[in-house]
Amino acid sequence: MTPRLRPAVGRALWYLREVMGENAYEHYLEHQRRRHPGEPVLPRAEFERRRMDELDAQPRARCC
Amino acid sequence: MTTTATPSTGRWTPRRIAVWAAVAVVGAIAWGIIALARGESINAAWLIVAALCSYAIAYRFYARFIAYRVLGVDDRRATPAERLDNDQDFQPTDRRVLYGHHFAAIAGAGPLVGPVLAAQMGYLPGTLWIVFGVIFAGAVQDMVILFFSMRRDGKSLGQMAREEIGPLGGAAALLAVFAIMIILLAVLALVVVNALAESPWGTFSLAMTIPIALFMGFYLRVLRPGRVLETTAIGVGLLLVAIVLGGVIDHSSLAEAFTLSPRTLVVCLVVYGFAASVLPVWMLLAPRDYLSTFMKVGTIGLLAVGILLTLPVLENEAVTKFASNGKGPVFAGPLFPFVFIIIACGALSGFHSLIASGTTPKLIEKESQVRMIGYGAMLTESFVAVMAMVAASILDQGLYFAMNAPAGVVGNTAQSAAAAVTKLGFTITPDQLQAAAQSVQEQSLIARVGGAPTLAVGMSTIFSGVFGGDALKAFWYHFAIMFEALFILTTVDAGTRVGRFMLQDTLGNLWKPMSRPSWRPGVYATSAVVVAAWGYFLWVGATDPLGGINQLFPLFGIANQLLAAVALTVATTILIKSGRLRWAWVTAVPLAWDAAVTLTASWYKIFSSDPLVGFFAQRAKFQEALDAGKVIPPAKSLEDVGQIVTNSTVDGILSILFAVLIIVVIADAARVWLQTLTGSREPVLAETPAEPSHLWAPSGLFPTAEDRARQAEQQKPQPVGASGDRGGGER
Repeated sequence: MTPRLRPAVGRALWYLREVMGENAYEHYLEHQRRRHPGEPVLPRAEFERRRMDELDAQPRARCC
Repeated sequence: MTTTATPSTGRWTPRRIAVWAAVAVVGAIAWGIIALARGESINAAWLIVAALCSYAIAYRFYARFIAYRVLGVDDRRATPAERLDNDQDFQPTDRRVLYGHHFAAIAGAGPLVGPVLAAQMGYLPGTLWIVFGVIFAGAVQDMVILFFSMRRDGKSLGQMAREEIGPLGGAAALLAVFAIMIILLAVLALVVVNALAESPWGTFSLAMTIPIALFMGFYLRVLRPGRVLETTAIGVGLLLVAIVLGGVIDHSSLAEAFTLSPRTLVVCLVVYGFAASVLPVWMLLAPRDYLSTFMKVGTIGLLAVGILLTLPVLENEAVTKFASNGKGPVFAGPLFPFVFIIIACGALSGFHSLIASGTTPKLIEKESQVRMIGYGAMLTESFVAVMAMVAASILDQGLYFAMNAPAGVVGNTAQSAAAAVTKLGFTITPDQLQAAAQSVQEQSLIARVGGAPTLAVGMSTIFSGVFGGDALKAFWYHFAIMFEALFILTTVDAGTRVGRFMLQDTLGNLWKPMSRPSWRPGVYATSAVVVAAWGYFLWVGATDPLGGINQLFPLFGIANQLLAAVALTVATTILIKSGRLRWAWVTAVPLAWDAAVTLTASWYKIFSSDPLVGFFAQRAKFQEALDAGKVIPPAKSLEDVGQIVTNSTVDGILSILFAVLIIVVIADAARVWLQTLTGSREPVLAETPAEPSHLWAPSGLFPTAEDRARQAEQQKPQPVGASGDRGGGER
């Protein structure tokens, strides 16, 4: 990979991870650190489980 | 511009003026070539250039005018995402990421299917409506509703209608939303049924998406929690294997097992819809959504690349004779209003207002970003619709009509279809029809209505021109069918679930336990009701002797445009109540247009004396035949005749219901407008009070020099106790 291409690939990967929700856990940790510092945080598996179960209660419409 | 903080735009340097003048001139030339050239073939590139130049100008000037002048976006004001940040439904999200989410939520099969059907009137009327409809109506609706909902902490369209108009308008809006959802799901599912019927390759590939999704769900839940990208990559890989395997199945003894009739497919879809609605989302819904999002963006990108690399020539005429005589076989009725009904998604889609007033407003970082997310995402969907129009228009017209006319017109054999197409005024030989079917390895392409197969043939022509040549044509055809079916099914299962929640909510007002999401009997009962409702229309559509798409697609368009009328009415009401009468035309003009289109179409559907167009004229004609015990074509038995009578009655009543709903909503809103303007009632707005924002993020795709400076400022370490506690937009 040429040096010029590397940042572009990195940005594309960042975008994919963000759009697909792979970074949700990192956002959660950051949120806890900022808003509720010192409180215990959920382990990733538990966090992802809850995040998914929340979707159960709030379905998102998809358009045509 | 007195109260709002308009960003400094930089000066109009000669270079900038020259660039925008060039965009305008190139766009005008492209439109001129499309509109004026007659009798010679046009390259698809002109359509693409005309659309892109028009979008650029609209986004730069009109969307900006609406954002800063009409709405008064104010980046000094905190958005709900900033104020209520709970890391769940409210959380400031990078504008580019949110644009991606929003686009994936609004765009689906709609913008791909409508233009294909509208191509029967030529490429010009449809393309004009797609481009100018989105600029002045569709994208405006999306942005304005997104903004107003954001100013109300993400309230839904129904809630806004109730609060800003009144209980009557609110109730009518809610009923409209539910009715539209049902019709929408039925028609989209019908597109899938028509695409998969008697096609073992397509049916096998699509059936495989269920075990693939179950596996992904399990993998994500148990093996690798949160590794979405990895899971999706595996899923997409398996999906491609499933498409290739489909080709093998097609030639094997298993082909029989996957050759399903439309009726069997309807039953399968209904069972599937019910299962998806009652199972936990992690099992089926969420993984399918990942797959669908990924495939959607990938395939749309591929289509754009394919068109730009092959620059195909359009075979379709600019305007066909069906535009004026209203006797087109794909859908009946004159150009006005029916082109504007058939193409909803891509030009003006009321359904978007449900998404623009749902998840997105709770995630937006800065008020000014409504332009990029609301207006920008809709422009992108419009571009998808233009590409679909191109894909349909590069097909030979004889093939197009053989594929899209209902079986009642073209019959079942290559000979009958060729004869029927000749009667319509186009030419294709039975051999050519056979060859076209063989090139994509399908039994037959005759009367494959619904748009999806036509689009798939167009896409396979484009793709195979770039990748793989004729050898891969069948693969690309089934790839296109699969991805369309995949994201239609995602819409169907998500929609069934949303419908179920709406029903649970409403019934919960009468009897409390109903609204509890954990009460299983309630979940099963409401899911069954929703599935039965769309399942009924799906069954009717799949078995209709007159052709289900031909009958139901106009109803779907009317329903979608009706919802747009509700959204634009709410927006106009808010503009008037907030003292912005002089800008109310921004939403009132598209509202007037949309109401004219919808009500004229309803008028035709209810009162037209032409049995091809009017539901009640149709009913009378077949009732008379039934009374006389006569079988008239396209019915093949008295039973068929009776079925047509029932169907046209139901469809006619539905048309009346839609027309009444739209009139009630607009009339109730007009009452509020009058009260406000005459001063007989003090307008009360439900807007959340302003709070100062401590967060800075760019408004557009690219950060300006000012944005960069502000962001650098923000990233400096803050003194203890400072309230600006959020990182910048660039994370």
